[in-house]
Amino acid sequence: MPAGRWPGSVIARLTARKAARSGVLWGYVFGVFVASTALGYAATYKTQTERDHLATTFGTNAAIDALIGPARQIQTVAGFTAWRSLGVLSIVGAVWGLLAATRLLRGEEDAGRWEALLAGQTTPRRGAAQALIGLGVGAATLWMLTAVVTIAVGRSSKVDIDVGAAMFFALVLVASAVMFLAVGALASQLAATRRQAAAYGGAALGLSYALRLVSDSSTRFGWLRWVSPLGWVEQLRPVTASRPLVLLPIAGFTAVLVVSAISLAGRRDLGASVLPDRNTAEARTRLLSGPLGLAIRLARPTVAGWAVAIGVFALLLGFIAKAAGEAISSSSSAEHAISHLGAAGSGPGAFLGVTFLMVALLVALMAAAQVAAARTEEAGGELDNLLVRPVRRWSWLVGRLVVATVACVISGLIAGVCSWVGEASQHSGVRFTTLLGAGFNIVPPAVLLLGVGLLTLGIWPRAVSITVYGVLAWSFLVDLIGGIIGLNHWVLDSSIFHQMAVAPAVAPNWTTNGILVAVGLAMATIGGIAFMHRDLQGA
Amino acid sequence: MGAIAIRTEGLSKRYRTSEALRDLNLEVAEGEAVGYLGPNGAGKTTTIRLLLGLIRPTKGRAEIFGLDCQHQAVEAHRRLAYVAGEANLWPSLTGAETLHLLGRVQGRVDQTYRDELITRFDFDPSKKVRAYSKGNRQKLILIAALMTRPDLLVLDEPTSGLDPLMEQAFRHSMHEARERGQTVFLSSHILSEVEALCDRVGILREGVLVDMGTLSEMRHLSALIVEATFDGSVPDLSHVPGVESVQTEGRVVRCQVRGTVEPLLKVLAASGVHELLSREPSLEELFLAHYGAGPEPEDEPPRAS
Repeated sequence: MPAGRWPGSVIARLTARKAARSGVLWGYVFGVFVASTALGYAATYKTQTERDHLATTFGTNAAIDALIGPARQIQTVAGFTAWRSLGVLSIVGAVWGLLAATRLLRGEEDAGRWEALLAGQTTPRRGAAQALIGLGVGAATLWMLTAVVTIAVGRSSKVDIDVGAAMFFALVLVASAVMFLAVGALASQLAATRRQAAAYGGAALGLSYALRLVSDSSTRFGWLRWVSPLGWVEQLRPVTASRPLVLLPIAGFTAVLVVSAISLAGRRDLGASVLPDRNTAEARTRLLSGPLGLAIRLARPTVAGWAVAIGVFALLLGFIAKAAGEAISSSSSAEHAISHLGAAGSGPGAFLGVTFLMVALLVALMAAAQVAAARTEEAGGELDNLLVRPVRRWSWLVGRLVVATVACVISGLIAGVCSWVGEASQHSGVRFTTLLGAGFNIVPPAVLLLGVGLLTLGIWPRAVSITVYGVLAWSFLVDLIGGIIGLNHWVLDSSIFHQMAVAPAVAPNWTTNGILVAVGLAMATIGGIAFMHRDLQGA
Repeated sequence: MGAIAIRTEGLSKRYRTSEALRDLNLEVAEGEAVGYLGPNGAGKTTTIRLLLGLIRPTKGRAEIFGLDCQHQAVEAHRRLAYVAGEANLWPSLTGAETLHLLGRVQGRVDQTYRDELITRFDFDPSKKVRAYSKGNRQKLILIAALMTRPDLLVLDEPTSGLDPLMEQAFRHSMHEARERGQTVFLSSHILSEVEALCDRVGILREGVLVDMGTLSEMRHLSALIVEATFDGSVPDLSHVPGVESVQTEGRVVRCQVRGTVEPLLKVLAASGVHELLSREPSLEELFLAHYGAGPEPEDEPPRAS
């Protein structure tokens, strides 16, 4: 479309192009996940006896119910696929929506590009509305690709999902993405920077997930699922027992957020936020005497946010561990001790062993964010200010690495302590030292990811962000799908979480953990050497 | 001439698709002020980033006060300060915190002079960097550089974003630096700025140093563009001393003047001139006049790549 023909729609088209590009990429990921889950299940569990057996072991495991939602009819390919895909992809989709919306709204504004666009024939309110239409195009792309793959897979006689059900299923899979696009849009109006907007949205997602998790851990808390957006998605029950009426709260929630975002966009100045943001501050210079102090100062607010999130989540897991663990001990067997989703044992320990994977994911996310921040400091030119002064490159890099590593260790400690506090309040009987060990047990994968990130920073700096978040998303998907459908062990080994013991269900393997840390530090060292000898590179 | 502040030998930088700097041989004596002129994309920033050790040369080497720019960068940096054309600072720190950090990292700060600079540039250090305008951020990195009283000041288009009043303050500070014997290396694409501050000028074009000399040697570069509109008939200006490149369009005459404008003014006054405009030619115009039209200069690689 020539730019001159619809001069008023330039923001919509620009946003749509970027959002659709990302929608295509993630549409493929969604499609591949659905297809590999369905086909993998059909290939691994060939007979009905095997499938029934799986259903009795997994279908009644409260820990897994809590982690990714309750299993329904998983003795059928369609039921299993619906359960597993929904549990994983609704979280992935929510993160996608949140990041896409904050990047394309607040991020573009931060970068000053909105200023140029809004100088044209539009108003802030119309501009925001257009950007939201563009994001809608992105979500539609995500849905279309997911639907196409789901329909294709559903036609296979082994899977057997009819076209209508497949389209509804794809809609359910992207429902959380749509809701969190709207959450991101609202957060972009409330916050002053993209990072802050992402943090607000992240808190909303965390709360939504936590409520859903508690509601599925025990029938006592079942009502909580009606106050969580992720709970609504679960209640749509695609394929097994569709309930399209639940789309109403989802649509209503999205509409309210979209309308508020557009109306707030018209009420504030460009570049300003709705929530008060302090532009002046008392000088606090205690830490600002060198690269290490600066790294601490820059990382502190983000790390504090992560630590609170990790602490609250661990506390919650500990709190519900007893009730959830009782459901496990009454039915599950130890036969599926093949992945994090088939932890051996019973009781609160087994529950925590499975659900600690999510805590490990949070710690690794924090590590990834730290590496990405280091790269941003280089790409944005802030680092130049240090390196044109008597500061060695390695002292900056070591400062960043030390801060990130210490942050991971502290997070592990917080996870262990908080889960114990929650668990002890219910007298579940898991020992403090066991949980402390489990807390430290989730640190090595994060350190490994730090190593991957610093290696990339040394040899291919522009790919740092996509590499760390890509490796993390890949690991998470592989680990959630791997054990059950019998993936090749090379594929399983490519997950940074695969070598991690399912503590506290089993004892941490400190030798393996030592190796993970050593490999991570070795990669960081190689990356550091490469960084010392290359050109600094802008964005 | 005293000791050498900057020396480069065959310094070259190639990027994947373009040659940013070719075989640069440059010498700047201690206490000297050298201007480094060139249009956008000529390789000025590449030269400076090589001098600072932020990027690696493809060929050749560079020294600052006899210290290798790659291998003894930290020692060299103790004696210099750098002002970038674009101030990229940590958005969450305040102005005061940034000055504190950069001073501590440098290791020496003249506190009295710092406070004087803050007043001179009318700078409010209590705000967060994120809240500063481009001009205020530029003031911040200027103060951070000047307050350390470095032996060598490396400036890469330092006045971008400053208003005329602040440009005045900048020139004042440069004269102070020169009086104290500090060496100045000033990259710019504004001829008058370099003329006001520097003893010698180097001219860079498409990665090659095409000319280097004192200001009087470079006098052939400075010219004035005059545009005159006449009421009646248009006089012939081509024989007036100092006037060249005369173009006539209807009743408007455009020409370049070198040296004194007096002969031209006499002729104009006698011929019923209705409107008179004069301005300094842009570097591009001068280059076109003096070095001929070359191939389109490639865009300078963004900051670092």
